[in-house]
Amino acid sequence: MLTLFRALFAPPRDIILVVAALWIGLALAEKRSDRHGISKDALNNLVFYSLFGFLIGGRILFALTNYSAFVESPLNIFSFNIDLFDSTSGFLVAALVGFIYGKKQNLPFWGALDALTPIFAFLAIGLHLSHLAAGTAFGAPTDLPWGIDLWNETRHPTQIYELVAALIIFGIIWPRKSSSSPSVLFLNFVALTAGARLFLEAFRGDSVFVFREFRLAQIVAWTALAIAFLGLEYASIISKERRFDESK
Amino acid sequence: MYAFILLLGLVWIYLSADENAASFAGTSAAPHQGFLAPDFSLPTTDGETIRLSDFRGQAVLVNLWATWCPPCRAEMPAIEKVYNEYKDEGFIVFAIDMTYQDKLSAVPSFVQEHRLTFPILIDETGETARAYQLRSLPSSFFIDRKGIIREVVIGGPMAEALLRTRVEEILK
Repeated sequence: MLTLFRALFAPPRDIILVVAALWIGLALAEKRSDRHGISKDALNNLVFYSLFGFLIGGRILFALTNYSAFVESPLNIFSFNIDLFDSTSGFLVAALVGFIYGKKQNLPFWGALDALTPIFAFLAIGLHLSHLAAGTAFGAPTDLPWGIDLWNETRHPTQIYELVAALIIFGIIWPRKSSSSPSVLFLNFVALTAGARLFLEAFRGDSVFVFREFRLAQIVAWTALAIAFLGLEYASIISKERRFDESK
Repeated sequence: MYAFILLLGLVWIYLSADENAASFAGTSAAPHQGFLAPDFSLPTTDGETIRLSDFRGQAVLVNLWATWCPPCRAEMPAIEKVYNEYKDEGFIVFAIDMTYQDKLSAVPSFVQEHRLTFPILIDETGETARAYQLRSLPSSFFIDRKGIIREVVIGGPMAEALLRTRVEEILK
C-alpha cells in the first residue's frame, strides 16, 4: 500500500497532493467564510493574490539571490523548473500580498486568518502526504515494529505521525463553532500545530541542531506555542470584558 | 494550564536533545539529500571503469538518463555547457545511461549529436538504478566534495540557471 502510494506520487508528482489539499481546503473554507465576516469572493481573491505572490515572489527572490546563475541565461526566470524557487521568500511575499489586499479591502485581520484556517489545516495534511510520497521529513532509525523501510534503514514513520496529527488537528478545528472572539480559531490551530511539531520532532532523523544538541524546529515550535498561548489568553480577557460590559 | 504545557515542552526539548547531534550526514549511504552518495563502479563508453568514490574531493553531478527520454535529451546541452564552465574548478559529470532499459547502440550517436565531452557510463544490469532508487528519468544527484548528496532533481529538463546554482553549491 505504502509502496504503491510512493510510486504513484513520487517526486515531482508529490506536488499534486499539496495542490489538491489547497483546493479542498479552499472549498471547505468558502463554506464558512461568512461566519468570520469575509465573503466567499473576498476569500477567493485573498487566496488567489497570495498564491500569485507566492509563485512570483519565490521565483524573483530566488533569481535575485542567485543573480550570477541567471546572467548568462536570463530567460530561465520563466523556466518551468520548480526547483528554481525559494519557498521561504515565497511565503513571505504571499503573506505581504495577502496583508496588503486585506488592508485595501478593509477585511478584518483576525477574521481573515480564522477564515483561512481550514486551508492551512488541509494544506498541512497535503504537505505531510507529499513528505510521505517523497520520503522527505524522514524519521530516526528505530527497532519498533511499525517502523518503515526508508533510505536503507528501518525508521520511525514520522510522515505518518505528522499526517495523523494534522488529521486530528483538522478534526478539532473544523467542527468548532464560531467564537465570539476573532483570532481564537487561528490561534488554536497554531497552538495545536506547534505542539504536535514540538512533540514529533523528537522522532525525526533530519533535524537541524543548534547549540550542539537541541533541535531547532522544537525551539521554533515552542516559541510559536508560547505566542499562541499569549494570544489566546489575551483573546479570553477581551471576551470576558466584552461579556461584562454587555451584562451591565 | 498554559504555563504547565510550556514547561512540559521545555522538558521534552531537553529530553529529546541528542548528544551525538552531528546529524546523519555522511554516516550512511542513500540516494537522498544529506546522505553519502551510493558508490558505483561502471564502465564508460570508452572502455574505462569509473568508481564514484575515487572522485572524493571533486564536485560531481550524477545524471541518470536514457536515449529515448525527451527531457534527458533536452537537458544535455545545458549540462555540457555548465560542465565546460566549471570543470576547471573541480566539477565533473557522470552521465549514466540506463542501458538495461535502453539500446546500447543508440548511445554513441546520442553522444555525438550532443557533442558530449563528459564521461558516459553504462548501467547494463540496473544495479546503479536500484542503488539510486530510480523512479523517473532524468534524475540528477549533486554530490559535494565530501561525497554527500546536496540536492536531488527528479525530472527535467533542468534549466541552465538551476544547474549553475546547484553546481556552485557543491563546489563550495
